[in-house]
Amino acid sequence: MRWRHLDRSLLLWLLAAGVLVALVANPIARLLWTSVQGAGGLTLDNYVTAFSRWRYVEALGNSLILGLSVGVLCAVFGVPMAWAVSRTDMPGKSLVWIAVLGTFIVPNYLSAVAWILLAGPNAGWLNRSWTALTGAAAGPFNIYSMPGLVLVVAASSFPYMFVFTRSALDLISSEMEDAATTLGAGLWRTTLRVTLPLTLPAILAAFIVAFLEAIAIFGAPALIALPGRFQVVTTMLWQFFEFPPKVEVAAAYAMPLLAITVLLFWLQQRIIARKGYIALTGKGGERRMVRLGRWRWVVLGYCLFVTSLSFFLPMLVVLQAAFAKAWGRGFSLDNLTLHNLRFVLVDQPLTRAATVHTFVYGGVSAMLALVLALAIAYIVRRGLVPYGRALSYVAMAPFVIPGIVLAIGFYASYTSPPLVLYGTAWILILAFTTRFLPIAYANSDAALRSINPELEDAVRILGGGRLLALRRVVGPLLKRGLAGAFILVFIPATRELSSAIFLCTAGTQVLAVLLFDKSDEGNFEYLSAIGLILVLGTVAMVLAGFRLVGRDFMLRRTAT
Amino acid sequence: MRQVLALVFAAVVALAVPAWSNAWAFEGEKELYEAAKKEKQFTWYTAHYDSETAAAVCNGFEKKYAGLKCEYVRTTAQVAYQRVSQDMKAGLAVASVFSSTDTSHYGHMKKEGWLQPYKPKNLGELIEGFKAYNDPDNLFIATAAGLVLITYNTSVVSDKDAPKKWTDLLDPKWKGKISIGHPGFSGYVGTWVVQMRKSYGWDYFKKLEVNKPRIGRSINDTVTMLNARESWVAAGPSATTLISKDKGNPLALVYPEDGAILMISPSGIMKNAPAPSTAKLFMEYLLGKECNDIMVKFRQDPVNKTVKVPAGMKSVAEVKTIRPTYEEIDKGIPEVKEMFRDTFGI
Amino acid sequence: MSKLVLTGVGCRFGNVAAVDDLSLAMAAGEFVSLLGPSGCGKTTTLRMIAGLLHPTSGTITMDGEVISSPGSSLPPEKRNMSMIFQSYAIWPNMTVAENVGFGLEIRRFSRADIRAKVDQILEVVHLGHLRDRYPSELSGGQQQRVALARAIVVQPAVLLLDEPLSNLDANLREEMRYEIRRLHDEFHITTVYVTHDQAEAMVTSDRIAVMNQGRIEQVDAPRTLYARPRTRFVAGFIGRTNFLDGEVHGDKVLFDHFTIPLARFPEAGALHGRVSFSLRPQSIHLHRVRVPQQPLGAAEGACVIAGRVVQRAYLGEHWDYAVRPLASALQLRVTARPHEVFEVNESVWLELDPGQLAHIHDKVAHPG
Repeated sequence: MRWRHLDRSLLLWLLAAGVLVALVANPIARLLWTSVQGAGGLTLDNYVTAFSRWRYVEALGNSLILGLSVGVLCAVFGVPMAWAVSRTDMPGKSLVWIAVLGTFIVPNYLSAVAWILLAGPNAGWLNRSWTALTGAAAGPFNIYSMPGLVLVVAASSFPYMFVFTRSALDLISSEMEDAATTLGAGLWRTTLRVTLPLTLPAILAAFIVAFLEAIAIFGAPALIALPGRFQVVTTMLWQFFEFPPKVEVAAAYAMPLLAITVLLFWLQQRIIARKGYIALTGKGGERRMVRLGRWRWVVLGYCLFVTSLSFFLPMLVVLQAAFAKAWGRGFSLDNLTLHNLRFVLVDQPLTRAATVHTFVYGGVSAMLALVLALAIAYIVRRGLVPYGRALSYVAMAPFVIPGIVLAIGFYASYTSPPLVLYGTAWILILAFTTRFLPIAYANSDAALRSINPELEDAVRILGGGRLLALRRVVGPLLKRGLAGAFILVFIPATRELSSAIFLCTAGTQVLAVLLFDKSDEGNFEYLSAIGLILVLGTVAMVLAGFRLVGRDFMLRRTAT
Repeated sequence: MRQVLALVFAAVVALAVPAWSNAWAFEGEKELYEAAKKEKQFTWYTAHYDSETAAAVCNGFEKKYAGLKCEYVRTTAQVAYQRVSQDMKAGLAVASVFSSTDTSHYGHMKKEGWLQPYKPKNLGELIEGFKAYNDPDNLFIATAAGLVLITYNTSVVSDKDAPKKWTDLLDPKWKGKISIGHPGFSGYVGTWVVQMRKSYGWDYFKKLEVNKPRIGRSINDTVTMLNARESWVAAGPSATTLISKDKGNPLALVYPEDGAILMISPSGIMKNAPAPSTAKLFMEYLLGKECNDIMVKFRQDPVNKTVKVPAGMKSVAEVKTIRPTYEEIDKGIPEVKEMFRDTFGI
Repeated sequence: MSKLVLTGVGCRFGNVAAVDDLSLAMAAGEFVSLLGPSGCGKTTTLRMIAGLLHPTSGTITMDGEVISSPGSSLPPEKRNMSMIFQSYAIWPNMTVAENVGFGLEIRRFSRADIRAKVDQILEVVHLGHLRDRYPSELSGGQQQRVALARAIVVQPAVLLLDEPLSNLDANLREEMRYEIRRLHDEFHITTVYVTHDQAEAMVTSDRIAVMNQGRIEQVDAPRTLYARPRTRFVAGFIGRTNFLDGEVHGDKVLFDHFTIPLARFPEAGALHGRVSFSLRPQSIHLHRVRVPQQPLGAAEGACVIAGRVVQRAYLGEHWDYAVRPLASALQLRVTARPHEVFEVNESVWLELDPGQLAHIHDKVAHPG
C-alpha cells in the first residue's frame, strides 16, 4: 500500500541534486584540498604565502574596490534604463533594448581594447576630440586607471542590472503605484519610495552578480589594469599560474572571494527577509505607462548615452578595425578591406571550427545549466529534499570562483580516472555549465518565486504529478523568463575566456581564446574581425531564439 | 571559363606536386613521408609567429607533402607551455612538435623527459651562428629567430628624433610615451629585460620608470600601442611590427646602436607525439628553404642560411645583436620578473 | 461509514503547533466548514487533507484507507480530490475551457467527452459564453466560477475550498455563497470549506467546525452552533452574545443581583458550582411594563428582570440596546425590532428565556 504514497518524481530531484553536487562540489573540493597541500602533507603555508605580500593584499583590495564600484555604476546605468523601458512612454525602447543586448554580447576584452582606442590618454579618440575642441593640452580621460577599468567593466556588466530590474518592474502592477499616488505622493516620490523598493531584491541580486563578475573578470583587467599599473585578484592569479605554476597558492588566494560572496548572499537574504517582499505575485495586474512628457527625450538621451559607452562607440571602433587594412590609419576609403574577414574565415580553418564550437558549446551549456538550475531552484523553493537551502548555496558558489581558478579545479578533477574529460568538448561544456549555473539559478529562482505555488497545487490536487505541473503550468508560465535566462547564460558562455583558455585543446578551440591570443599578437584587425564574427553570430542566435519564443510575448493579453 | 581554367590548373598542380616531391631533398625523406601518411593527426603548438605566419607555414607544409595535414595551435609561449604540461599530466598525446620562445621551457621539458631526440638532416642549412643554441642531445633545434629593438610611430616621431640606442629611451622627452611588454607574460620581454640588466644594471629600469612607460603583456602589445598612437616609441619585436607596417600602419624600426636583442627560438618533437614521422618531416621543413621563404614573407628572420631577407628589413647578420646566454636567461627571468614588479608596481 | 476521518491530527512547524490533536469525521456528501480566525490552523488542516502538507501526528483516512500519517502521505495527485484556492490558481496560460478540462484530460477522458462535460459545467456556472477567454480577461467573480467549475467537473471524492470568496466584493460574495450551496445540492460532493466568515459557513454548511488555536472547539449544525455554543470562544465568534456568570446555590442559580431557579434550565442536572452562559441579544425582550403572566420563580417560560437602558443605537433593521439589570454591574446587549423604542435611562423589564441560556463548558476560560 505504501508504494502508492511515494512521489516518484523524488528520484528525479535527488538525481538533480546529485548532479549539482558532483558538478560544483568536485572542483571546489579539489580547490580547497589543493590550497592546503604542501610538500610535506597538509599545511597552511600557502595561505601565508598568498597574503604575506603587500602587493598581493593590495590586489585583493583593488578587486573589492572594482567590484563595489562596478556594482554601483551598474545600478546607476541599469536601473533608470530598466525603469524607462518598463514603466514609461519613452520613445525608442526597442533601440535601447537592442543596444543593451548588444552590450551583453560584446566580450569585455573586446570592448576593453575598443576603449583603449577611445579613451587612451594620448591617442584616444575622445581625448583627441576634446583637445581639438577645447585646445587643451591633454584630454580628460585616462582609461588606464581604476575609474577607467570600472567604466569598461560596468559598461559591459550593466545588462544584468537592466534585465533583473526590468523583469521585476514588469511584475509590479500599477495598482501598487496608484496606492501611493492616492496617498498624495507625486510621480518621483512614488517611483522612489514604492516602485524602486519593490524591485530591491532584483537590484540586489544584480548588484551581487555584477560585483562577482567584476572581481572574477580577467580579460579587461589584463588589458587595462596592467598598463594602468595596478593589479587585481585575477591578474595576480595569473602570476601564480605562471611558470612554475603555484596552483596551491592560487587556491589559497582565491578563498577570500568565497568568503565575501557568502557574506553578500547572507546580507541579501537578510534584507529581503526583513521586509517581506511578497508583493511580487504572479498576477501582475494591469500596468500603465508613466507619461513623461518632454522629459522622455531626456530619459532617452540618458539611455543612449549609457549604451553609447557600452555598445555603440566600442562597436564603431571594432567595425572600423575589422574592415581596415591598418586600423591606425583611421577612417578612409582606401583603408577599407575585406581581407581580415576573409583571412579569419577562409584562410584560417581554425576560426571556422572555433565558431562552430563556440556556439555549440554555448548552447549546450546554457541548456544544461538551465535545466539543472530550474530543478534545483524548484527543489529549494518547494522544500522537496531535506537541507534544500544548502543546495542553493552550492548552485551559486561557482560565481565566486574566478574562471581561471574554476578551470584549474576542473582540470584537476577531470584529467584523471574515473572521468577523463580533458581533451574533449565535455570539459568545456561542463565548465561553462558550472560557471554560469549561478546566472541560470538566480533567474530560475526569481522566475519561480513569481509563480504562486497554488497554481501547481491546483494541478496536483486535480490528479497531475509534479512533473505534469512543471510541464503544463510552470514551464509555460516561465517560458519567457527562461528564454531570457537561456540568453543570459548562452551569451557569456559564447564569450567565456578565463576558463576556456585552460581547458580547450587543439580540437576544441573557441572564439574567445582565439580572440585573446590575437590581443597579444598586436593584430587588432584580425582580432576585430573575429570579434565581429563572435558578436554577429551571437546576435543571429539570439534573434533566432527570440523568434522561437516570440509567441510568448503575446501571452499577456490586455483586457478588452 | 575561368572556373574551368582554375580546375585544370588545380589538376595540373595536383599531378605535379607528387612528381616534384620525388626529387627527395634529403636522405630518408621518402621513408618519413610514407610513414607520415599513415599517422594520426599532426598538431603543432607554436609561439614562434603570429597566426597568419603559422597558417602560412602550415599551408606550405601541406603543399610540399600532399596528403599530410598540419594543425597548429598558436598562443603565447607561457600558454603553449601550460597546454603542453597539462596534456602531459593528463596523459594526452596532442602536440607532435612544440615551439616556444621561452628557452627555459626546453630545459624543463628535457628534465621531464617529454622530448625525443631528432637530428635533422637539414641541420647543415641552419645559419652557423644559431647552431650554438641547439641542444647537444638533439632534443631541440633552433628554428626561428627574431629581434627585440626600438620601434616608433612615424606620424608622431620623425626619423631624426627617434631613439638610436636603448639608453635614449630614458630621455625625459619620452615621458608617458613609451610602450613595453611584461616579463611575466612574454619570453621576448623577459629576455630583453635580462639583457638590459646585463648591459646597464637594474638602474636602467629605475630610470625608465621615471618615464612612466605603458606596460602591456606581450611584446606584441607594443605594436597595438604604437598603432593607436597611445605610445610613440617602444621596445618591440621586429616581425610583428614589420607586418603591421606592411599593412600601412605608420611604424618604423630602429636597430639600436648598442645592439638589438637576438631571440633564438627552438622547436622539439614530443616523446609521445601522435605523428612522430610527420614531426620529423616538419622539423626538416622548418629548417628548409621553402619554409624560410614563407617566413621572410611574413617578416620573420630566416634560419636557413641560403634565404635572403626582402627589402625593408635587415638580416640578423647585418645587425649588431646582443643576447644573454641560456643560463642567464634561465636564472635571470624569474629574478627580473620579481624586480620588475617591485620597480613598476605590477 | 464516514467518508473522511481525521484522527488526532497535528501539524507542527518547528516549535509552533499549527494544528493540535484534531479529530473530525465526515459523512459522504456532507458539507463541513472549518471556521475560525486567521491563524487558527484551518488552512493547514485543509492542506493536510489535500496532501499538500504532511501531519506530524495522527492520521487521515478516506474510505477506510490511511492517506496521511506522519510516516508517509499519499501525494495529492492520487487522492481524487479537488480544491479551490484563495488565489483561485487559475492557470493564466490556458483558456477557461482548457482550465476546466484539465482534470478531465488527466483522467483520460476522450476529447468529445471533455468538451461535453466542460460545456455542461460552464453552463451550470453561467460561463458558457466565456469558454475561450483567458483568465486575465475575466472579472474576479468569473475567475471564481472557473475555479468552481474546474474543481467540480472531475466529480472528486472530496472537494476542498480555501477561503474561496475572500477576494470578492460583498455583493458577489453573498451571491457566490448561495451558488456554492446550490452546486453542492446538485452534485452532493463531500466538501470541506475553510472560511473565517461565519455567514459564509452558515449559508453553505451542513456542519461547522469552529477552530481556535489549532483545535476544534465545536462541530455542529449551524443552528445548534448558534443556539447552543459550548465554549465561550464559539459563542463569541458566531454572532454577538452576552455572557452571564453565576453560581449554583441549592435550587437557584445566583447571578449578579438576580437569580433564576435551577429547574428552569434545560441542563439543570449538569450544573454545579460556578457556571457560565451565553445569551444571544435576540433572546432578550424589553418591556415597559412587567410581563405579568410569568411570575418570577415559575417553572416554565420567561424570567423577568428590572433594568435600565444605558445606551442605544438605531441600525435601521433593528435597535441595539445596552441594558443594566438593577443594581447589577452587568450590561446586557439586547436587539429589538425598530418599533420598540426606549429612551436612555428609561426603566424597563428584561424578559429572558432560560431555555435559551447556553451553558458554556469551558474548562479553560478563553479571553473575550
